[in-house]
Parts: sequence; structure tokens; C-alpha cells
Amino acid sequence: MDSKDFAGFLDLCDPAFRYAITAYIPEIRKEMTWLEQDKEGMKLLFDNLPRHNSDHSPLSRHITVCIVDQDEAKQQAKTISTLQVFKTSLDGGATELFAVGKIYDTVALNGDAPKLLDRNIRLDTRMLGAGYHIPF
Amino acid sequence: MSRNEIAWKEQPKFPSTHFVDTRIYTDEQIFREEQEKIFNKCWIIGCHESELPNAYDYRTFSHPGGAKLFMIRGEDMKVRAFYNICPHRGNTLLYDPVGNTKRVTCIFHAWSFNAQGDCIDIPRSKEGYQDRYSSKDAGLREVKSEVGFGGFVWVNVDDNSGTLKEYIGDALGMMEENLSQPLEVFTYHKAIVNTNYKLWHDTNSEFYHDYMHYFNRITGMMQPGYFDRKYKGYPGGHASVGSMEIKYDAYAGSQERAVGWPGLAPGGWVLIDLFPGMTFNLRTSVLRMDTAIPLGPDKLIIEFRGLGLKSDTPEQRAERVRDHNTIWGPFGRNLHEDLLGVHGQGLAMREKSDSKWVLHGREENSTIHDEVGMRHFYAEWGKRMGRPAYDPFGDNKLG
Repeated sequence: MDSKDFAGFLDLCDPAFRYAITAYIPEIRKEMTWLEQDKEGMKLLFDNLPRHNSDHSPLSRHITVCIVDQDEAKQQAKTISTLQVFKTSLDGGATELFAVGKIYDTVALNGDAPKLLDRNIRLDTRMLGAGYHIPF
Repeated sequence: MSRNEIAWKEQPKFPSTHFVDTRIYTDEQIFREEQEKIFNKCWIIGCHESELPNAYDYRTFSHPGGAKLFMIRGEDMKVRAFYNICPHRGNTLLYDPVGNTKRVTCIFHAWSFNAQGDCIDIPRSKEGYQDRYSSKDAGLREVKSEVGFGGFVWVNVDDNSGTLKEYIGDALGMMEENLSQPLEVFTYHKAIVNTNYKLWHDTNSEFYHDYMHYFNRITGMMQPGYFDRKYKGYPGGHASVGSMEIKYDAYAGSQERAVGWPGLAPGGWVLIDLFPGMTFNLRTSVLRMDTAIPLGPDKLIIEFRGLGLKSDTPEQRAERVRDHNTIWGPFGRNLHEDLLGVHGQGLAMREKSDSKWVLHGREENSTIHDEVGMRHFYAEWGKRMGRPAYDPFGDNKLG
């Protein structure tokens, strides 16, 4: 994703892939899903990117896998990772922390290679400036 | 043909109502005057009643005039608003943005207040103040508040202001049916942008910038009825934009909105801008409410709320959430573009950047690409400020 190889990212995803960006919003004491797509929806989102006006500052996603819970019977693994997203300005190259949170992944292990089945980007950061068109 | 310095600064070839001097977006003195003459005189949305569902629920709010406030629902279920400041040593009373408390107690010296703003306890009062001062002297500063027009909690720090109804007038009449059922805030987020608050309100007051939005071009501008949408101005600087039928399925990956909204035709879109920085934006299944809170001439917090009906089923609510966030969430297609637009204006129109003029000169019989919405705003702005927006310092030597 950092290199905007969206086709390469989708190749790592199972056909039943689900993606979401969620957060808890304490000001209104409610859960929120800011983005929710299946694999086809993600592809359309990526395909439409050139048609939009977007912030082109590159992101750097730093992920540390903390917990891996493998289910042999289901042939799946669930992982929990911490996430830090940094944004680097194109003019001058200053880097700022853009977002922090956790990633909850489910990985299918029943094929030739592991495939991402479900990804929930659970954000702690809720003030995201102008926002961003590309998912984390 | 490009222009030299003299030509760049020449008065635009429009009436003076059709352009503004960019110093109104950058000057510190003007901003301080706006806080005093505009924000501290107008009714401003502090929160929505659904954010305070129970007795003793409170919500904090940074008023654009500068005061820190909190709104709290009393035992009598009435919502009141107060300065969020302890009258003793000036400490913040409530730190969390939301909560529930029967007693508002300052962490510093434990002075306590009830939800009516009465001081109910000063520790060791008699020992320290004898008969010179007591809790009856130490009530909180209450601010006028009213709940209305869709269940929003409005505040006005001017004790001598008129009523909320007088302030709004007929401006929200177009949405009367749309706002007739109890509403609920389902999403809330803020954005800080280095730009002037009026530039954000300007963006909400003109649709010519639909050229920036691929989503709006494909679902709106290219569809029948788009160029028939009309602006209507109301006393007080408020303005509305009429509806059309948006073709949501024209955007690949999008779809027709199924849930809808009471009183709004399928695919409809109504927008009402309220002076000085609030926008009711109703598209098919979601009401979006923007509240602009300037932090300075070139820094702005925007509060974004998305609302559905209180009576929503889980399925209806889930669809409203999807509809909202597809275009208006932090990862939505349109909001990012709108925020980039005003961010870019903030970059270009810094003090000393010699930006000089912004044009509001489009006239198209008050239809969608006419810039009458902004002209209407600046007429009210000039009246309240005692300065014309085209010549705020009286030094432009206009012809």
C-alpha cells in the first residue's frame, strides 16, 4: 500500500475479503465505521483514485504484529498489530505522525498461500486533518 | 495576458459587491472584531440534544467567540449552557468532552455547582470568607440557550440577543418537514485546517466548485436539473439552495440510496447556510451539520456531525452511515477534496502574500453556479462589522 501497488495488495486478499476502518467516538459515545468495502469495492475505490483530487503526500504505515492466534480447525489465523501511519510532505519532506491505532486481521491459511480475509483498521486517531482518499 | 503589479491590484471590473479584499481572511484585527461583533452576537450550534439524552449529561463546546462552554441537561430535563470556568481561580471545570454528573466540582479547590449553575459548596467557606462572600455570590455564568430547528442546542453569549426564532427567520423553512421528526447524531469528527473560517463557509455557499469533485460532476452536474437549482437569500446573511435528483449510481461502485429522508424526494439534496458558519446539508439519507469554529484568522476547527432519525432501525442506520461516509467521512470522496480546497486557499492567502482580491462575480440568475450566496453573506458581514468586505480598511481607492 505504501508504494501504491493496489493490484499487488488485492492479490494478497481472499475473494471474500472485507475491509473496514472503525473508531469509537467518545464525544457522542458511539462506534463508527468510516470505510467498509469488500474486495470488489476496494478495487473500484483504487480504480477511481485518479479521477479525484487528492493529497499526494506519501504515507508510511508502520505495523508491529503483537498477537498471532492460529486456528488449525478453521485453517485461519487472527492477528492483532499496532499501527502508526506517518505522512511525509512533498514540499520539503517533513514527516508527521498522521494516525495511530490497531489492525485486526484474519488470514485464510487453506490455500496455496496465506490470504487476507478480513482487516479492521481500528483507529485511536480521529482528527485526520483533510482526511485521505487511500485506505490505511 | 499576465499582469504586472499595478494591474494585479486594480479594482476588479465588477460592482464592489462582487469581490472582497483578501485581508478579511488574514488580518488579526479583523478576526478579533469578528469574534466581538459577529460570533458573540449570533446564535451558534453547540451540540445536538441527542448528545445529552439523560439528566445530568453534559457536553463541552469551544465557542467561536472565544469562551469555553458546557451544556448540561438538568434534572428538569432542560438544557442550559454555562462558561466552563470556575469563578474562583479560573480553572476548567469539565475536561472530558462528554459525561454525566450531578455535581460539577472543580478539581482545584473542590468548589461545586449544580446543573442550574448554582454554587452548592465552597469548602471551608465561612473560615475563609466569613460573611464577605458565599456560595450565593459564586454562581456560574449562564449563557442563553435554546433547543430547536432539528433538536440542535443553540447558544448565544449575548444576554441582550433576540430569540433563536428571530435569528433564523424563514431561512430553515425549506427544511421544516425534513426536521419534523426527532433526530440523532450518529457520527462526529473534527478537522483543523489552516485557513479562514469564511473560506469554509464560502465553499458551502457556492457549487461552482463541483468541478473539484468527480463524484458531484458524475452524479450531479452531468444530470438533468442540476443547473436549475436556485439560491435564495434570507435576512441575516442566511441562504438556501434548492434540490435536484442526484444519480448516485452514476459513480462506479456507488448505488441508488434506498433509505431516504422524510419530506425529501429520492436522490434529493437541500442545503442551507446559516450566518456566520453553520450549514445544514441534507442529501438523501443523511443530514450533515457543519459548525465552523475559528481559532484565529488562519486557523479553523470544523465540527462535522452526521444525523439520522431517532426511529431508525439498525439496518436503516447502517445505510445512513455508509451513505454519509462514502462522501463525507474522513475517508470519503468529497470531504477530503473540499478540505484540500480551503487548505490551498489558506496557503495562498497568507498575510503579505499579496493575494489582494477574491472574486464573487458569477451571475447566472441565482442558479447553482451563481456566486450570489457568497455576496449575500458578505453583505451581512459588512453590516455587522461596519466595514465593507471589498475595502475593509478604507485604503483601496476604489473607483
